[in-house]
Amino acid sequence: MSSGHDTNVHFHRELEDLERRVLTMADDAEHMVEMAVTAAVTGDLPLAASVIELDEAIDESYDRVHRDWTNLIARNQPMGSDLRKMAVLLQLNVTFERMGDQCVNIAKIAQFNEALPRAERIAEKIREMGDLVRPMIRTAIDAYLRLDLDLARSLHSMDEPVDRLNASMYKETVAVADNPAMLEWATKMLMASRALERIGDQAVDFAEQTVYLVTGETVSLTKVDRTTQANDR
Amino acid sequence: MTTREMSYSPQGQEIDLVRDSRSGSHAKGPVESEIVIATEAMEVYYGAFRAVDAVTIDFHARQITALIGPSGCGKSTVLRSFNRMNDLIPGALVTGAVRYHGKNIYDPDVDPVEIRRRIGMVFQKPNPFPKSIYENVAWGARINGAGRKGPEMDDVVQQALERAALWVEVKDKLQESGYSLSGGQQQRLCIARAIATNPDVVLMDEPASALDPIATLRIEELMFELKKDYSIIIVTHNMQQAARVSDMAAFFNVNLDDRGMRTGRLVEFSPTSQLFTSPREQETEDYITGRFG
Repeated sequence: MSSGHDTNVHFHRELEDLERRVLTMADDAEHMVEMAVTAAVTGDLPLAASVIELDEAIDESYDRVHRDWTNLIARNQPMGSDLRKMAVLLQLNVTFERMGDQCVNIAKIAQFNEALPRAERIAEKIREMGDLVRPMIRTAIDAYLRLDLDLARSLHSMDEPVDRLNASMYKETVAVADNPAMLEWATKMLMASRALERIGDQAVDFAEQTVYLVTGETVSLTKVDRTTQANDR
Repeated sequence: MTTREMSYSPQGQEIDLVRDSRSGSHAKGPVESEIVIATEAMEVYYGAFRAVDAVTIDFHARQITALIGPSGCGKSTVLRSFNRMNDLIPGALVTGAVRYHGKNIYDPDVDPVEIRRRIGMVFQKPNPFPKSIYENVAWGARINGAGRKGPEMDDVVQQALERAALWVEVKDKLQESGYSLSGGQQQRLCIARAIATNPDVVLMDEPASALDPIATLRIEELMFELKKDYSIIIVTHNMQQAARVSDMAAFFNVNLDDRGMRTGRLVEFSPTSQLFTSPREQETEDYITGRFG
């Protein structure tokens, strides 16, 4: 965004370093979604443990970013796009930490589901949700790195099928109510579905932050569709 | 006074800026949107050298406007043009118009002394007179209404010192020299002297740059108090100060021509909240983020 010589090199280097660390958390979260979904659906306990381990690393990164962010703003009082980037990074740090927490919520289901009978239809839908949510995180990262507003705005339409699948999950659960063991499994998967839906929303939040970074305007990319979602349920 | 001109303030009071007039009428704007000073393509020349390129800005009543920009961008020159301080520099010429309540202060019939009474100035370095604290303020009051004496003058001095947030600190030593005060107190004394002339605009040229951080914050707090009654235009090198105190901000930059002559130019005039977070102009963005060459 520069048209001249940078007289604030030291600050900008530290800001870039902070940005790199925050975006690494998003990379980790994307990876964790795949691991967590597989662990939950297959009951893979070691994989679930890996997700929990990765989340601990994200939590540590969150703490360090928060500490360094405070230090950076106290010493530099940034303005303009630097200030917007600082605001965005603080928000994204929270967003990615929560994505990690949601992945842990999904992964932990593995330990409950190990011995329960599975409903293939529900498992397939959960996998499908995971396959939809991961590209959302990747697209939001790309939109941020390229400062691409169109790509950021595309997150809204990417989120729609995730919301639809989540809304349909209640009916799928009721459909297996005759089998109490399978119902228990399905109820846990309902929680996984809810967690994936939240991660999708968090990816949309990420894209909204990119729009703010570029334009200085706060937008809600999902606002339009709240009523539709409610009706689907 | 055959060619006396009157300009009209929104409040309905006539503002008399003409030579040999000391009516003392003082307009305080009744509405937020009142424009106190409006420049129209104002340019400042020193001889043949154009120091500032066409500046058009409206300054509103009871707002603090900050003028910011790199050294040599003309912001202090612009500020000094608002009360004809540039008249004192040989060869200086202001073209375009600087309208104060609608009246161009560079019209030939305007009295520059009357202008400086209504549009006060506070300088970078506190410059009290080598007189008592009392006399420093009374000087301003005498300019405003000659002949005030005794208890009447005491009231005026007290009121100005109170408004400048200095009364409590000096009320028991009014006859001591102005020089006996600390730097921050001296600057507030200069502010008291400036407002004792009953102006409605106070120009401040780097008013806190010679002060320590605590004294600086006191001046800034004082500015918030003063803007209830006065319009303030401040030149500051300190962007954080501009961001803290101002309602509106004007960013000036420098143009360098083929011969190496530097001309100041208004780049952007925006609400402060916008200018420091999402400026309209890339040039402003580059300056406030430290990316400029």
